[in-house]
Amino acid sequence: MGGHLGAPHMTGWEVLVQQTINGLTRGAVFALIALGYTMVYGIIELINFAHGDVFMLGLFISLAWFALLGVTGVLTGWKLVTLLPLVFVLTMLTTAALNVAIDRIAYRPLRRSSRLAPLITAIGVSFMLENVALLWKGPAPIAYPDIFPSVDILREWFGLDSAIFLTTKDILVVGATLPLMLALHYFVTRTRWGKAMRATAQDRETAQAMGIDVERTILITFFVGGALAGAAGLIQGMYYNIGQWWMGYQAGLRAFTAAVLGGIGSMSGAALGGLVIGFLSAWSDQYISARWTNAIVFSILIVVLVFRPRGLLGEASADKA
Amino acid sequence: MTALARTVLVVALLAYPFVDRALGLQTVHAVSDGMIYMLLALGLNIVVGYAGLLDLGYAAFFAIGAYAMGLLNSPVLGSPLYGHAWSFWLCIWVAAAVSALLGLVIGAPTLRVRGDYLAIITLGFGEIIPVAIRNLGDVTIEIGGWRPIERLNLTGGENGVNPVGRPYLPGVPFETDPIPWYFLILVIGAFSVWAMSRLRDSRLGRAWMAIREDETAADCTGVNPVSTKLLAFALGASFSGFAGSVYAAKLQAITPGAFEFQVSIMLLCMVVLGGAGSIRGVILGAMLITIFDRVVLSQTTFLVRWIGRATGVSALTAIDLTLWRWFFFGLGLVLVMLLRPQGLAGRRVRPVATEDAGDEPAVPEPSAPPRLEAVPEWLKARAAAGVDGSDAVLDVQGLTKSFGGVVALNAVDLVVPRGAIIGLIGPNGAGKTTFFNVVTGLVRPDAGRITFAGRSLVGLRPNAVVARGIARTFQSIRLFPLMSVLDNVLVGEHCRLASTVAGAVLRPPAVIAEERRARERARALLAFVGLDGKDDDLARNLPYGDQRRLEIARALATEPRLLLLDEPTAGMNPRETDTLTELIGLLRRELSLSILLIEHDMEVVMGISDRISVLDYGTRIAEGTAAEIQRHPRVIEAYLGTGYEAEAAGRSAPR
Repeated sequence: MGGHLGAPHMTGWEVLVQQTINGLTRGAVFALIALGYTMVYGIIELINFAHGDVFMLGLFISLAWFALLGVTGVLTGWKLVTLLPLVFVLTMLTTAALNVAIDRIAYRPLRRSSRLAPLITAIGVSFMLENVALLWKGPAPIAYPDIFPSVDILREWFGLDSAIFLTTKDILVVGATLPLMLALHYFVTRTRWGKAMRATAQDRETAQAMGIDVERTILITFFVGGALAGAAGLIQGMYYNIGQWWMGYQAGLRAFTAAVLGGIGSMSGAALGGLVIGFLSAWSDQYISARWTNAIVFSILIVVLVFRPRGLLGEASADKA
Repeated sequence: MTALARTVLVVALLAYPFVDRALGLQTVHAVSDGMIYMLLALGLNIVVGYAGLLDLGYAAFFAIGAYAMGLLNSPVLGSPLYGHAWSFWLCIWVAAAVSALLGLVIGAPTLRVRGDYLAIITLGFGEIIPVAIRNLGDVTIEIGGWRPIERLNLTGGENGVNPVGRPYLPGVPFETDPIPWYFLILVIGAFSVWAMSRLRDSRLGRAWMAIREDETAADCTGVNPVSTKLLAFALGASFSGFAGSVYAAKLQAITPGAFEFQVSIMLLCMVVLGGAGSIRGVILGAMLITIFDRVVLSQTTFLVRWIGRATGVSALTAIDLTLWRWFFFGLGLVLVMLLRPQGLAGRRVRPVATEDAGDEPAVPEPSAPPRLEAVPEWLKARAAAGVDGSDAVLDVQGLTKSFGGVVALNAVDLVVPRGAIIGLIGPNGAGKTTFFNVVTGLVRPDAGRITFAGRSLVGLRPNAVVARGIARTFQSIRLFPLMSVLDNVLVGEHCRLASTVAGAVLRPPAVIAEERRARERARALLAFVGLDGKDDDLARNLPYGDQRRLEIARALATEPRLLLLDEPTAGMNPRETDTLTELIGLLRRELSLSILLIEHDMEVVMGISDRISVLDYGTRIAEGTAAEIQRHPRVIEAYLGTGYEAEAAGRSAPR
């Protein structure tokens, strides 16, 4: 993944600030994906391996919606404020439906099997989605048009001559992610469906006994998780202007690491974990080497799983035997 | 397999390369490569099929083996071993050993975590290894302008290692002819299948499957889960390393791209498609997938293009189905798991109602009452030999355990004298099962002493407690459902048997004798509990009452001196209950076994127990004989209820 590279003429602290901005934007996307992992795991204890690929398809689907609406370049004025939210909604609905369909077809028949059975089908689905994208878009990177106006904020708005790049796109990432997270928080803590989700996550049998429709709750969970992954795909596309069929696997593993780091099952943990992984990967790119970043992220994953499986914010009783 | 079929198979395998040459088919190379993948799948089957550990990074060990061969055997510029090519015949063993060692290093800290987490850890490991191989081809370490290491090439980087040395045998043309390779791989493969099938049928194979079926139950039956899983992991890794080293030498060049995640998934496809846990199934799965990948996809592509040309549909003429291979592998995984989770060759399992049907057990078949003469002689002999001086077998003092703010056990004292039957009763949630869990090592106590036959048990893992001589059954039956009845009992004997990996594969006379004795003992136990003739049934296919008795037989197989029974008559009809009560009495009388019994059926407890302890909210509120307990005011208040005394008096005479 890109972002603004630390240019050679930057001073040490400027590089750090730049990479921290990069880390924040990356982390916001990871956090959105991680939320989908953590919600599904919280409710049916499944590592939804295909989730990263739903994110990847979200990027291509949003591209298709833009194309359908005739958007090929920078949006401005009223078009920006109407079309952009519209594509957000359309993309999120599409990926949400996709995620629900995946659950219905590949996971739901295996609810009573061993825990490894749906994990294996999840891997299978992941391969299928990746190859659908590969055949749809081809192996080469796909250019994502510059849809959101990019303005170098520090220079053009504040007249500062700084080596640090902070653009309106950075603001877009945060500005789109934060409301989504707040909406999710409201949904989970304040609504009936959210309450049903939390109850089902704690104890499925009891929730069922209390009259909660567990299957519908699972459906809603997949729906919400898929919608967030779609939004993440759209944000990713607009920010980095590029998409490729294998990016879901990569991003998915990093986001899963984020969810585990934060404490799987915990929503605030997923958000926090996403940011931490975002920062760490950006700093690793800069200070160690981008070639090693994956190895470092996975080492974090392994260390957390082995030594603190409940993560930073997870419940102590992570183990439901 | 009949002798005839076996002979035909051997002749076909031996004749194949010559037939191929005579017909000019030139498929020997491809078949040899396919056999290497088959070997890999068989190794993965130990990990996934036997031990039930989902390993998504198996290709990493393949890579380690290949690179061990490559680096020891090929002049990689900058390698510390540059210029010292080792012999192929030495390198394959080194490669297997290095992979096994790495399997231990990765497995030791990670195998404690849960199954799905382990899958992700292995996946992460599988990602790290190719990254490391790529990047270690050009290592420069710079610390503030000082470069202790500059452009060091350890692995060949993205370009890989090329060439890799070939094996040398006088007069055998490994350089030019594919046929020697075919036979080399055939020999290795045949040896591997032989070794694996022997491992599967050994004490270790049973332990792996027990872990796969129910790790907690296996632990409480005397199987050490960590070392057992570690062994599976390391053995699987060494097979992979072995295959990797041969692959490297055969291919003459290795690149990091050959060991990516996809390879692990393709191997997983082979195992899952054929049937995890079945050697024949895995071989079948590997053959089908290889044929599909190499033949079916390309031939179908030709066919579709031909149809396209014939019908004039231009879209079809450009199609290339080989691009879809990973799509098909993914689809295959999904379809197999949904439609035939046991795989093509897996054992048919009678569909059984799922967990929650356990609340309403099916009507148990009437069973024969236990017969005195059926008490296994070896258990009797052991009981006679095991008498020592101390009076109390189990002595528990001040046992305390709390979960969060809930005090499950509050300074509980309990003594089980030798040869006594002690009842443990109390309302639901009183801490009875927690008491069992603490004594058997599943739960660590916060405070208190547990002394068994004069030695402390605190801090021991469940399998170590079993080895000391305490066996248990579970409130909700926990058998190894997909193992045979006989194997369930044999797992119970695990901690009393000694065979190792080498012993299991080579089967020296001592191991053969041990295994035969173990089977005799297991059959005697099954006859004793009334399950003779059901040796080969799957445990999950037994009716409910039989499952209870099988669990007791399994517990007895661990040669316990103290037996903990957690609600043994739960869900039984009166007749079954009577039979079981008699059995418990027989165990005490004939085997001088001490028994600690949790039971809600007051008739059973009061009738059979020498003394009874009553728990309420984690505290022992009473202790005494049945008659004393029945009159105890706090027990009546907390548990029995006021009506019980009159009811009990009117129903049965006190002992």
